[in-house]
Amino acid sequence: MSRAGGTPDPGTGTFVRAGALWTALLLCAGPAVAQDLDYRISAVDEATAWRLNSSSPFNARNLIVPQPVRGNTGTVDAAIGFGVLSTSLGFTAVASDIQRPDYRFDVRELALDLSIGESWDLLAGRKILKWGTGYAFNPTGVVEPQRSPSDPTDRLNQNDGRNLVSLTGFVGKSSFTAVYLNDAEYAHSRLTWGKNEIALRLYTFIAGLDLSLVGHYREGDRLELGANTSYVIGDNLELHGEVLGKKGTSMLYHAILGSEEPAQEFTSFPYSATADGSREIFCKLLAGGQFTFNGGLNVALEYYHNQEGLSAGEWKRWMNFVKFQDAVQRGAVAVDPALVTPSRLNLLWSLLTLSPRGTMRDYLFLRGAYAEDAWSCEAICFMNVADGSIALIPTLTWKASQSLSLYARYTGYIGSNGSEFGSLFTTSALGLGIGVQL
Amino acid sequence: MTRITGFRSSAALLAVLMIAMGGTPFRPAFAQGGAQPEPAKLLEQADLSRNGWETYEVVTVIRNYQDGELKDEGSFDTYIKGADRTLVKFMNVDVKGQYLLMLEDAMWIYMPNTRKPIRITPLQRLLGNASNGDVARTRWAGDYDATLKGEEKVDGVGCYVLGLTARSEGATYNRVELWVRKEDGRPRKAEIYLSSGKHYKTIFYDSFGTVHGRLLLTQMTIIDRLREGSTTTMTFTGYTPREIPEKWFNKDYMEKLR
Repeated sequence: MSRAGGTPDPGTGTFVRAGALWTALLLCAGPAVAQDLDYRISAVDEATAWRLNSSSPFNARNLIVPQPVRGNTGTVDAAIGFGVLSTSLGFTAVASDIQRPDYRFDVRELALDLSIGESWDLLAGRKILKWGTGYAFNPTGVVEPQRSPSDPTDRLNQNDGRNLVSLTGFVGKSSFTAVYLNDAEYAHSRLTWGKNEIALRLYTFIAGLDLSLVGHYREGDRLELGANTSYVIGDNLELHGEVLGKKGTSMLYHAILGSEEPAQEFTSFPYSATADGSREIFCKLLAGGQFTFNGGLNVALEYYHNQEGLSAGEWKRWMNFVKFQDAVQRGAVAVDPALVTPSRLNLLWSLLTLSPRGTMRDYLFLRGAYAEDAWSCEAICFMNVADGSIALIPTLTWKASQSLSLYARYTGYIGSNGSEFGSLFTTSALGLGIGVQL
Repeated sequence: MTRITGFRSSAALLAVLMIAMGGTPFRPAFAQGGAQPEPAKLLEQADLSRNGWETYEVVTVIRNYQDGELKDEGSFDTYIKGADRTLVKFMNVDVKGQYLLMLEDAMWIYMPNTRKPIRITPLQRLLGNASNGDVARTRWAGDYDATLKGEEKVDGVGCYVLGLTARSEGATYNRVELWVRKEDGRPRKAEIYLSSGKHYKTIFYDSFGTVHGRLLLTQMTIIDRLREGSTTTMTFTGYTPREIPEKWFNKDYMEKLR
């Protein structure tokens, strides 16, 4: 790439140097790396029917953020490896209206993975890395794509890798990893750089204990430090934990959280980093374990605390504000007609507070799983400790053959009016899926 | 990313060298001439039938039967280095990309959809009646303390009866009774008990074959005593001595294996 006048683009030299470095590294790559083609293809198609929550304050008469009641999602994921190159290509077709399906093709991962000698590995490209020990929550998963605790296994292959360069050194039962990340995007013939991120991890296995120390810094944000661990006691019990802390937070909070007056409308974007200058330690904590019964039943339980989430008081203030906007949209309160449209915008803005990983501070996760012959069942319960509302997700799977499986997955949201899971857009969903693996 | 491949030519060369050097797998390790054999030595002798070399690869096929009908079948490539490191590669198409790592007393499973190793217990079932530990833990001597309980015949074959109690946290079972053949120290049968005292499994060491000059276990049968009619066979083929990189047995390396 060069400019019109022939003057080298400042970036060109960088790319040339990077190319030379890559060539040198490829030549140095260990001879143990084979050049054989390896692949794994999985395809899933899931048809889902949703029951809308008519009393949800987020979506009056299903007009604020219209939700489908029937839909189909089909995904194909091809994980391919050849020598030092690995990639995961995803194709997704989503149809809430069968006449107008939406198609998407993703390069979910594309990375070079080089072994440099016996002890070092260099990884560069787009890749999913996961560092935590938790099942549903991973406070120390600072390098991983965001995901939902209600779908820890990413059944529809929706998680994409992140752009990174990683260097890992292996010494016996320990390892050291340094990662540079940048969520750069290339679109419309233009490369847009994201914020620079650096993450470090020191892992060791000592006296039966898995122990990782994690550090993470994102440009313009706080330094985060944490640790995770896991340990097995006896034949049946596994325990794990994670903690991550930082001083202050750049998290954006709605202005209504500091006000007791719900009947108001904001004329500009109401979010700001109110705890930016705080000296308070914002901590994410996970404690969990799993117990395997002698008959094969596996039960996992996790407690998650996120200090960046809303307290019960903040949730109440925010919910009262949302309910007021909802009442305006439904015409349940009399306001100046000129305020109805700004109210709708306020309702949309307020939805930015919701997080699929939990909006409040304390959660419990419970999972039971059992398999017998071709049948397996799993039940997930995700509970907001503060208001007692839950998401309940039982799944029954029948493995017709090694390549073909069929499943039914129900999702039910149970909670009082104004609770987190009782206020969502839907009350339940039933999905029927088919999975093929090659 | 490292692809796991076999070094069969070097393995064959190594086997030839060992045979040329007169290596025999079953040197009598216990007392002769009527003296009481040492239980620990008997256990080491029994271990030799599954561990011909310090580092090697073996293909394990597990078949699960219910009332004699084949219900499930799984194939695993197993890489073993020393007494406390085992890596199991799942070969079936539905679990492709899945690995099990055993390091000392600990075990992790890596599944490509979760993209991270998860710590597990040895008792969790791998397939049918076979626990993770049945595949990954191949040595009794490091895991159990042995006492000699007497002598008995099993199917007309004279055996020593050993009582084993778990010594390490990672031992697959809490209490085991093991019958080893008086003639050559090979295991013949094992009765497995849970910590509650409940009879859990019976294992028969069915057949042995000569591989690269060594007499090694080729099939064992596991009978589940808690589920009537449930039987699992494990067959071992393709024993191959080979060098295995140390980092393959580091938990953090699991995501790079394929």
